[in-house]
Amino acid sequence: MTFRDRTTNVDALRSWRGDVEADYIYTTGVAGERFFTELRDTGRILAAHCEACERTYLPPRMYCEKCLGPLSDWRPVRGPATVEAVTIASVDAHGNRPPEPEVWAVLRWRGIHGGLVHRLAVPPKQAKPGLKVHPVLRPAGSRVGNITDILYFAP
Amino acid sequence: MRKVACIGAGMTLFRRRLQETPKEMCWEAARMALDQAGLEIGDVDAVVFGSAPDAFDGIHMKGENVLDACGGIGRPYVRVFTGGGTGVFSPIAAYWHVASGLFDCVLVVNEEKMSSCQPHPQSVFGHIWDPILDRPLKPNLVWIFAMEMNRYMTVHNVRYEDVAAVAVKNKRNAVGHPCAQLADPHITVEDVMNSEVMAWPVHRLDISPPSDGASALVVCSEEFARTHRIESPVWFAGVGWNIDTTFWTDRDLYFPEYLANAAKIAYKQARITDPRRQIDFAEPYDPFDYKELHHMEGLGLCKKGEAPRLTREGVTQRDGDLPTCPSGGLLGVGNPIAATMGIKVGELYLQLSGQAGQRQIPHEVRTGVTNAWGDLMQFSSVVVMRA
Repeated sequence: MTFRDRTTNVDALRSWRGDVEADYIYTTGVAGERFFTELRDTGRILAAHCEACERTYLPPRMYCEKCLGPLSDWRPVRGPATVEAVTIASVDAHGNRPPEPEVWAVLRWRGIHGGLVHRLAVPPKQAKPGLKVHPVLRPAGSRVGNITDILYFAP
Repeated sequence: MRKVACIGAGMTLFRRRLQETPKEMCWEAARMALDQAGLEIGDVDAVVFGSAPDAFDGIHMKGENVLDACGGIGRPYVRVFTGGGTGVFSPIAAYWHVASGLFDCVLVVNEEKMSSCQPHPQSVFGHIWDPILDRPLKPNLVWIFAMEMNRYMTVHNVRYEDVAAVAVKNKRNAVGHPCAQLADPHITVEDVMNSEVMAWPVHRLDISPPSDGASALVVCSEEFARTHRIESPVWFAGVGWNIDTTFWTDRDLYFPEYLANAAKIAYKQARITDPRRQIDFAEPYDPFDYKELHHMEGLGLCKKGEAPRLTREGVTQRDGDLPTCPSGGLLGVGNPIAATMGIKVGELYLQLSGQAGQRQIPHEVRTGVTNAWGDLMQFSSVVVMRA
């Protein structure tokens, strides 16, 4: 069906290195502006509520994905987040091993559609689904309005 | 709609760092598929090309770059894209080209050259995340799969050994595949369990390798197959596709709803009401071992949480009651994203026409199903085929 004997050593072939040069600027958007400004200034995590669909979105959006109506009812999430799934990352995207494995999790809040993926500050052995955690933020003066204003989640 | 057949398949070797350019790989696969069908490009009315992100090959708008090698010049030619779902989606596009009555014979070519991307194609995945919410956290693609695997294993209380058994089965099945990159006749569950932990619970051998490769199919109408005296046409019995939300946190990761929805469409068309009984074998998409289990359940081939047991009991072995990934799958043959068409729809064609050689399922098979999984891991395409 095909040939088995072919070189797979690219250095032995005529080859060259190149790149696709492109740089970008991203805006946080209308909903993102409000979400991150609130996180920076008050430390609150806001969700957006659709009255018609009885759904509260985190991360908040300016529209409801179900009815495509506009969303204007913003409310902070309450109570601890629950860890739904975890991973313990031993290798980064470049194949390098960080000094300590990093724990990452899918986090959910009661009554909220969606949630966040973020870092967990617990030893790997304690990283289990079902754990209740709270966000730990940078000190008020040093927040910049970015998702990394949340340093991690901890019990 | 008209009946549509697959009448030829071809694929290149799946490897890292092949010398061939994307065009050259496309040509090789296209030539093989035409030769198998006993046709020339002059017999082809239209061409469908499928590939995942341009960033792998490093050629922006690569569909145009490979056009000449696919026989697309002067013909209706279209590129379709559903990320990793493209491997089963471009045959669906070819299906509707023919079923609609617009064309009688369509060549489908899928290609990916992942090794061009330096230092590793993983770096391209760094740019699929939301630039505001996700990217500042420097997410790694494997984490997300690891969390999905963790959720699946948590909900169903699945043992890791039963997940690793999928990698063992597929890498062993790939021994009979002439294009295979990671076939291993001696691999054991212990080998998988003892391989390097990438992002717990995912180990290195739970993951399919990035590959270079291309594959091609020839798809035609019933009348075309008859007038060209095609000996073993294999029929498209049903097709479907579906997509869920892009937000990981908006889904319960333990079950692929998007796949269940896609399968529902395909099964309705194929008049399948009891997939476990009416389907003889499957090629579920297996870029990770747990995904084969996930996809068997999404395809309705077993109850939710039951796939690990079927694997443990040998039901999914090539000589079992429901062979899955008899090709060797992505875990054994390799994962040049869109080009996995050759081991998914391509394998259905080869098995159902009795041309799978060493990999042929030893008992008679009449109906097969396959799926691919893609976009931002929220999409599935499904094809059911019959001999």
